[in-house]
Order: sequence, then C-alpha cells, then structure tokens
Amino acid sequence: MDACVAKYPILILATEDCSYPGANSVGQAHQNYPDNTYIIRTPTPALFPEKFYLDCFDKGVGGIIIMSCGVECPYEGAYPALAKRVDGIYALMKQRGLDIRRLRLTAICTVCNRAFIKEVNLMNQVVAELGAPGSEARAA
Amino acid sequence: MSKLNNGQEQPKIGVYVCHCGGNISDHVDVAKVVEQAGGLANVTVARDNSFMCSDPGQELIIEDIKSGKVNRIVVASCAPALHETTFRGAIARAGLNPYLYEHANIREQVSWVHHGPGATGKAGALVAAAVGKAGELEALEPIRVQAEAHATVLGGGVAGMSAARDLAAQGLKVALVEKSPFLGGQVAQLDKTFPSNEAAGELLSALASQVLGDERITVYTCAELSEYSGYVGSFKLKIRRTPPTGEALERLAMAKDAAAGEFVPFVGVAAGPVPGEAEEVALVSGAMVLATGFEHYTPAVGEYGYGQMQEVITLPELIRLMADEKATGGQLMVNGKPIANVALIHCVGSRQIPGIHPPGPDGKLNQHCSRVCCTATLQAACELREKFPETNVFEMYRDIRTYGRGHEEYYLNAGRSGVIFARYEPEAPPVVTQGGEDSALTVTVPDKLLAGEELAIGVDLVVLAVGMEPRDNQALVEKMKLPVGADRFLLEVHPKLRPVELPAAGIYLAGACQAPMDTSEAVGAAGAAAAKAGAILSAGFVELDPFVAEVDETKCVGSGACVQACLADEAIEMTETPDGQRARVNPALCMGCGVCVAACEQGAIELSGWTLGQYEAMVDAIVAQALGQGA
Repeated sequence: MDACVAKYPILILATEDCSYPGANSVGQAHQNYPDNTYIIRTPTPALFPEKFYLDCFDKGVGGIIIMSCGVECPYEGAYPALAKRVDGIYALMKQRGLDIRRLRLTAICTVCNRAFIKEVNLMNQVVAELGAPGSEARAA
Repeated sequence: MSKLNNGQEQPKIGVYVCHCGGNISDHVDVAKVVEQAGGLANVTVARDNSFMCSDPGQELIIEDIKSGKVNRIVVASCAPALHETTFRGAIARAGLNPYLYEHANIREQVSWVHHGPGATGKAGALVAAAVGKAGELEALEPIRVQAEAHATVLGGGVAGMSAARDLAAQGLKVALVEKSPFLGGQVAQLDKTFPSNEAAGELLSALASQVLGDERITVYTCAELSEYSGYVGSFKLKIRRTPPTGEALERLAMAKDAAAGEFVPFVGVAAGPVPGEAEEVALVSGAMVLATGFEHYTPAVGEYGYGQMQEVITLPELIRLMADEKATGGQLMVNGKPIANVALIHCVGSRQIPGIHPPGPDGKLNQHCSRVCCTATLQAACELREKFPETNVFEMYRDIRTYGRGHEEYYLNAGRSGVIFARYEPEAPPVVTQGGEDSALTVTVPDKLLAGEELAIGVDLVVLAVGMEPRDNQALVEKMKLPVGADRFLLEVHPKLRPVELPAAGIYLAGACQAPMDTSEAVGAAGAAAAKAGAILSAGFVELDPFVAEVDETKCVGSGACVQACLADEAIEMTETPDGQRARVNPALCMGCGVCVAACEQGAIELSGWTLGQYEAMVDAIVAQALGQGA
C-alpha cells in the first residue's frame, strides 16, 4: 500500500550526530518514504526558539518532526532543555489553535531506519488529515 | 588569506550538481535541477558533472572561483559526511574561505529514496534551500588556541597504560592517574587473555615496564581528579593523592614485597610508593584520555543461588581458582572437594529484559550484551576440560556470541573437548537448587536444543558468567559534564564518524569505560584516542571548527539567559562593558550546541555557520518550492 503523502511540506530537524546519518542510512538501504519531507541538519534542535517553529507553520510547513538524539545526545543537558522547550511550543500552538500533532519530538539513531520511516508516515497521516497549517484554528 | 575571503561581497553563488555516475541522475533530472538553480536569486553559475568529487569536478569549482564568477559554493551530491571536506578543501585551494560553502544531499536523501518527478522536485527544493543558506553565509576562521604538549590519562588499566605509552611515543609528556595503588585494572584479575592465551601478567608487565620506564610519563597512583577546568590545549587540572584505605590496603598487603614494576597475580603491577598523607598536584594538559574501565556485575543475593549456596561462584572467581590449580588430569578440586560436574551459566547481568529481570539496586537494567563473556566462559570451559578432563562441563547459554577473530575457535574447541551445551530462553532460565543425587546442587533448565525438554543436571559447582557494567563515575561525570548513554557507559560522539571523541574538544575515551570490550579492543581504542590527542597537540596550537556561539553586543541586553542555558561551564560569561553587562563567549570552551541561541529573547547570540537567519532562508526556499511558489 502506498504511503499517505500530504500536500504540505514536512520539515525534519535532524541532528548531525544521530538522525541525519540515520536518514542517510535509510537512503543507503534504498527504503522509500514520501518526498514531501525536507531534512535540515542541525548540531542540536535545542538551538531553535519557539518563534522558529511558529514561523514555519505560518509559512506553510504542515508538520515538523524533531529527530533528536534523545538520551544519547552528545551534548549533556541539551535533550532535557529541548524537551522543556517543546512543551512551551505546544502551549503556544494550543493558544493559536494549532493541532499539536503537527510537531513531534522523537529520538532517531544512526541506524533507526524503521523508526525514521514510521515517524515520517505518521506525520504524513496527521498533515493529510489536518490540511493547511492553521486551518484547524479557522475551522474551530 | 585571500581578498576573496571577506564574505562581505554581494553573494555570487555557484551551484554544482553531481550525477554520481547514475546514482543521482538515474532518478533525478539533473539538467532540470541545474536549470532551476540557475534561476534562483544570487546564483551566477549552475553546472553539473558526472562526479563532482573527481578532480575535473573540483576543477570546475576552482576555476569559477579564480575567475571571479562565484564567491559562495553549493554542491548537490551525496551525504555531506562523505565529501563536505573534499569540497571545502577545493574551495580553500582556490583562495576562498572554505566556510562559504553549503551542501545539498540529493543522493542518500533524494535519489536513493524517491523516484519519478517527485525526486527531481525535491532535489530542486534542497538545492534552493542550500542556495538560500549560502546567501546568508559569512566567512569563518578556525579558532586557534595554544596547546600544552602534555596529556593526562585517567585510569591505569590496560587501556590507560596503552594510551599513555602511545602519547609519550609522540613526544608528549603524560600524567597517568590511577585510583588504586596498582596498575593493570581488570586485566590483572585474569590468568590468560584470549584469543592468544597470553598470560595476563606477562602482558601487563611488558606494558607497565614501558610506562614506568618512560621519563615522559609520570604515574600518580592512589589519585583522582579533584579539579577540572579549561579547554582543549589548556585543561587546568588538580590531581589529589590520598593514602590507601580498605580494599587497597588489603591488596597492598598481598604485594608488600613487590618492587615497582613487578606484577602480582590478581592484584596488579606495583607502581612505587603510596602517599603517606594527602597531597595535591596541579597540571596543565592539552588533552585528556578517559580510561576509567568497567566493573563486573555482582549478582543479587539468591540470583541463581549466589550468596546463598557456597557452590555458586562468578566467572572471575573461577578464573582465580583455576589459576592456582595445576593440571591433574583428574577432577578440579575446590575447597578440598572434587568437582565432577560444573555448570557455566551465560548472560548473568547482561541482556536483561524489562519485566523478566528485576532491576538492580539503582533501579537500572543491564540491557546491553557484555560481548566478551561468551568467549571468556568458553575459554574457561576449554581450560577446565584440558586441565581436569574428569570434570564434566555444561554450558547454559542464550546465544553464543563469539564475535571476534579467533573467538569462534573456543566454541569449536569446547564442543570437541566434550563440553555439553544447553540453550535456554530468558523467560525460562536455569534454576539452581540445593542438593542432588550425588551432587551438591541441581540445575534444571528447559533445553531449546532439545525442543524444550527439561534437563536436571546434578553439579558440584555453578559458575555465573557475569557481565560488564559501567564503573560508578558519577563524580567525574558531573565534574567534567560527560555524556552518558542509556546503558550508563560514557558516550562517544559517533561510533563511525567520530569514534572515541567526546563533544568537548580534546577529551577522548579509551577502553571499557565506553562499552563492553575485550583487551584487544580496549588497546585499539586507546591507540585511537592517543593518536587523535597527539594529532591535535603536535603543532603547538589547536585549530577548532568555528561553529561556536557568537554574541552580537549591539543586541545583547545583559539578561544572562544564555549563561544560564549554557551546558558548558564558563563557555559564556558576563563581562562589564561601557554599555553595561554583556555576554561573551569563550570559543575554546563552547561546544557548539546552540542551546544559548534559543534562550536569548533578543536574538543576540547565534551559532556561527548555523544561524537562525540561515535556517529561515532554508525554510523559505523549501516552502516556496514545495508549494509551487518557486522561481
């Protein structure tokens, strides 16, 4: 069965030490996933402030998957800081009427091929269901 | 540096799209991507080549830079880990700042995972994103710090001694800091090492004589790191030596007649006088190697009868027992009793499963495989059968993981020498009970090799193949802010891309402090750590990646939020300026994580090379392309 492909782009913030090589590992295995996904490399997603995420949704990004290193983060303390920040972003998303399923915090390792594809497909389903970012607020 | 490096000129971006043979062009319409790229803002040149990484491919870039057509470069090709350095090198050879470069990954993240028009569209979007970022790039310079030609190694086991020896061989002065009064660590608790069956004592004696005989190496026993600050090139350390107590005194009593450098079986290598009173030594080191080792898992009381039945012992205890026993051709004797049958149980304290195994006193499970215990157990079984052929050996295992070169031979030899194997499931492990027909104990186990038939074996000795656990390094972890993995071992940045490195520059891992490994692997890791440390210290200065935080003092209001958020001690400090308190970054201490960036409400601190403006440009380009608003 073909994977669900949403109309709106999905941004993946991938750590250069874990999930970015993990995404490459999916490529090396020639495993397909929807092409509306755009992977951006970052030392750690903990560097993005709340505004960055909200701006992305304003610009038309349908969903954002933060693929962190999780507890394997080489920067001791960065993952808890990121998790706390994401909680704050969820609160801001709710205030704006944005469905918080559009933002997902995950941990993907360098060889987490199945988990990577699962997360991409899950987000595609969410974005396909919700449509344009912000449309859920207008519908409410 | 060339005048081309200023990074302040109007961006003239060159885009170079690689076919990668057919790896990319079989699924991506490269000509179309090039055509689209040529229409993007600031792009002055857009080209393609069969192999951009080849000399002709790199020459395209170099020629365009030298002729003044471009001053920023985007290459769309394979994963950046493969050729980012290649292209930065080409750019530098052309006289341009190598950081005026961005990479679009259109092989692993496009042509190998997408096909048809979607692949070309996504490749175009990633190129547009890279062009967007390239337009925001600024020339960066590596951070240069003076480097002390001195390294400190924490841990005097086989990995620590190897690292110290290899560092000294590169002309560096070395401080080797060992907690106990002896060198040798856990290898001193072995009789023979696999796969060579070399005597552990001989191995350690040879290594220790190199260490103790090298005037560039200073050995501090009974010593621990008491203070730590500084950065690569200049770590400021204090080493505290204290008089031995408790177990250390017992070991010293066992080695009271040993001269410095002499190996005492199951104690270690004597390393000279111990301190009579506490003393502290201050050091400045350019690099550090952590070789703090591991501990054996201690079974819980009652686990397979351990601590309740005196006939249940661990594998290290068996190794020690056997070392004292000469080959008799008969039965092994333990405490004067003949051992007719012995059961060796694998995976004790390793590969623990939530819901099946109870957590340890710290609430944790050892879910990792300890890797070395299968071969160690088989080595012991072979030795038992060889020295005491009248003692029958039963091995009860979950899986045999003899993964290393020469390890499988122990498995084959054990089978040939009459060792009997039974395979158990974690849900139905062997059960040890007191008493048997003609034996002290009975081990009952459903044998998977016999379709689950339950075996009840009378034995006189049960040996638990205990796994490897991380040493309790909490004080060191907190002092040095070391990353720790889910398995509680110290965590290297990346096992393939940056093995044995920690994110803090100039600190390396060696041996089993980072994962279960055997002696050969520990020595190999020590060699890697020493080579990396030596490489950065050999020039007298260290050049670090420029991807560190930078404060815009015109925006900074001195809130201190970045200092509070910073994960590295002293990497950002508040300093007094004529305009009031302002944040200032020490580039040598900054790890480049960017946590401070998110914390600053004024947007006054950025991560060089990864700025928010660059990310926003990438998102704008992606959205424009994806939603059909592109150029």
